Amino acid sequence: MNRITNWVLSSVLAVGLMGCGGGGEDRGAEGTGDPAPAKVIGYSKMNSNNPFFEVIAENIQAAAKEHNYQVRVVSAEADVAKQMDQIRDFVVSKVDAIVLNPADSEAIGAAIEEANAAGIPVFTCDLECTADGVKIAGHIATDNFQGGRLAGEAMIEALGEGGGEIAILTHDPAASCVKRVAGFDEVINAHNEGRASGKITVVKRLPCDGQRDPGFKATQDIITAHPNLAGLFAINDPGALGALAALEKAGKSDQVKIIGFDGQPDGKQAIKEGKIYADPIQFPDRMGQEIVHMIAQYFAGESFEPVRLIPAELYRQADGQADPSLQ
Amino acid sequence: MARLAPARYKQLALDYGMIFVLVALGAGFSMATIRVGYPEDGGAARALARQIVADFGSGVPVLLATRDSAEGAGFASAFRERLEAEGGVVLGETQGTPADARRSLEALVHGQTLPQVIAGPQAAGSDVFLSANLAKIHPALAEVPFVHPPGETWPVFLTQGNLLNVATQIVVIALIAIGMTMVIITAGIDLSVGSLIALSACTAAALIHWAAGEGAPADVGLGVVVGACGAAILLCGGIGLFSGVMLTVFQIPAFIVTLAIMLIARGLAYKATGGQALGSLPDSFSWLGHQDVGGIPLSVLLMVLFYAGAYVLMNYSRLGRYIYAVGGNLEAARLSGVPVNRVLVAVYTICGLLAGLGGIVMASELKSGDPKTGQLYELYVIAAVVVGGTSLAGGQGRILGTLIGAFIIGVVRNGMNLTNVKPFNQYIVFGGIILLAVLLEKMKERFVKA
Repeated sequence: MNRITNWVLSSVLAVGLMGCGGGGEDRGAEGTGDPAPAKVIGYSKMNSNNPFFEVIAENIQAAAKEHNYQVRVVSAEADVAKQMDQIRDFVVSKVDAIVLNPADSEAIGAAIEEANAAGIPVFTCDLECTADGVKIAGHIATDNFQGGRLAGEAMIEALGEGGGEIAILTHDPAASCVKRVAGFDEVINAHNEGRASGKITVVKRLPCDGQRDPGFKATQDIITAHPNLAGLFAINDPGALGALAALEKAGKSDQVKIIGFDGQPDGKQAIKEGKIYADPIQFPDRMGQEIVHMIAQYFAGESFEPVRLIPAELYRQADGQADPSLQ
Repeated sequence: MARLAPARYKQLALDYGMIFVLVALGAGFSMATIRVGYPEDGGAARALARQIVADFGSGVPVLLATRDSAEGAGFASAFRERLEAEGGVVLGETQGTPADARRSLEALVHGQTLPQVIAGPQAAGSDVFLSANLAKIHPALAEVPFVHPPGETWPVFLTQGNLLNVATQIVVIALIAIGMTMVIITAGIDLSVGSLIALSACTAAALIHWAAGEGAPADVGLGVVVGACGAAILLCGGIGLFSGVMLTVFQIPAFIVTLAIMLIARGLAYKATGGQALGSLPDSFSWLGHQDVGGIPLSVLLMVLFYAGAYVLMNYSRLGRYIYAVGGNLEAARLSGVPVNRVLVAVYTICGLLAGLGGIVMASELKSGDPKTGQLYELYVIAAVVVGGTSLAGGQGRILGTLIGAFIIGVVRNGMNLTNVKPFNQYIVFGGIILLAVLLEKMKERFVKA
């Protein structure tokens, strides 16, 4: 008797599960005219809590429709072991191409090697894989060094001839953020060269983990130590918004000019309201679209540049006021 | 005896009832993943070669296209052998990307030997072989077809590759769940195992880098690798022992002790590698996670071995009986002479050792020690134990039930990836299944007892 109960209950469970599965995908039986079934792209995104990657996912799906590709999206939640499992699942279900934002630039190498061994091309996007001996068919990211230079130019513009003391909120575990700071430093150093007055001096560099709360605390420490701070560059929007909150709390938001990075909706809103001076903005929508076009070029056997960097663009208050996506 | 049999079945169903849930999940995912798959094995290659000669005649010139993989190479050699035996001619062979295939075609056009057929596994098919694109390479190619073995309808979930995949994916959780089952049977809990995974992985990687000194870490000998892994596992065992001592001698609740250890171990893991993942490890380090014996991955064999050992320990050894006794009624166990404190210290030490081993398996799979790994694993492990029928109140539980629980978790995770469940929904489905599985267990218990 209890076995019957078991079967009934577990069937209910299984049916409920398949309802959630949505069955959205069907590899397609062999059509009469077209010998090739739709190609399947597996995308393992970085995490679910940063809208940046959701924008990439949406644009991959939209662009894939044009090429008649099917897309499967999973999220690694920044856990490289989970991402490895997802890549293995893609490999056994024989997807035609894999796109990922590596959860860890080094440790994801072993998983990519397995996809390489199965002959499945791997494309990376936003973040790169630095492990030895892996084959990456293509990579698309923001030109972070150029974006960092834009941030430096914006800082010079914001401070004017007076110059002053500035701080940088860093996030060194991400190679992309290191490049942003390098570009920023280059422009600021060039600006200071041979200048007797109005120099811009970096008085403090603190990590902000690319997140609001650590950015908030780091900024509190910075303004306590350097009350004359005139400017602050944060390597992404969450860091910049954390800094903004700390400056507002200390009543110094007018004194300190903030430069962020990314162009996320919250960041753009703050720029429009004049609370952040400017952002070099990234284009996750274009990243998603262009990675699909790159995959199409790959399948067509065309030659293409395997590393494509999308230039960042500076976004100031005037851009915010003209931006229809903001209220 | 005949009257005893139903009771025995009842007991079996009570102990391992979850296996029905596992089977039902497997059946559900099999149905949900029925798709047309395209074979890439030698048999399919030979059948294709025969078919081509039958359709296009003897002496047919063929371009053979496969992907750069072991399967592709096997397909190519089987195809070539059969085609030549049947009187066909392999004009050219391309193993690699669509761009390689295009170059091969261009080379054939240049040499003025045009293929009449392009053949290969379906996976090697690409837009290069569309007739419009072929016509651009040479007008005469427009009519050349790409032929591949016909598709077969089969549930992806049930392929051998995928089932091994599920088994590989649960190894870390399942190994640690052995220790966690013992801990939970004593009515305890160990929240530190997720961090110990990271600590073990990072310690082993850091020790190998340290032993390499000025040389390349990838070149250290097998002895260093084994020593580093052993030291990392022992370190985690030592931390487990420390937890056990804290909660027996100082009477601090296990929840609090292991919560503190969870934070400390995570911090130590970050310190061991300086916050970054440490890679460039020797090939011998990745054997455990990447080698197989007769098609079964080494890590899966290790898991089976440990479960066999744990089964014997829990059912036929004195320690096993003591563990149940301590969890059933601590005071009664103490009064009947069970060395309660030593039993508790032993189970936390075992749990720590197994977490260390799990960390080594994970690091071996990833070929690196990453301090960020293993987050939330304590919850997956506890879920596997509880879904497997072990009571959080202590005293009750079966080690093989835990293995089934781990498989349920692995099957759900894998199945959701195969069936395209959206990332947000994966959390909801996952939580729902844990709840339903435990609910089912409760209802069955009530039913059997009634």
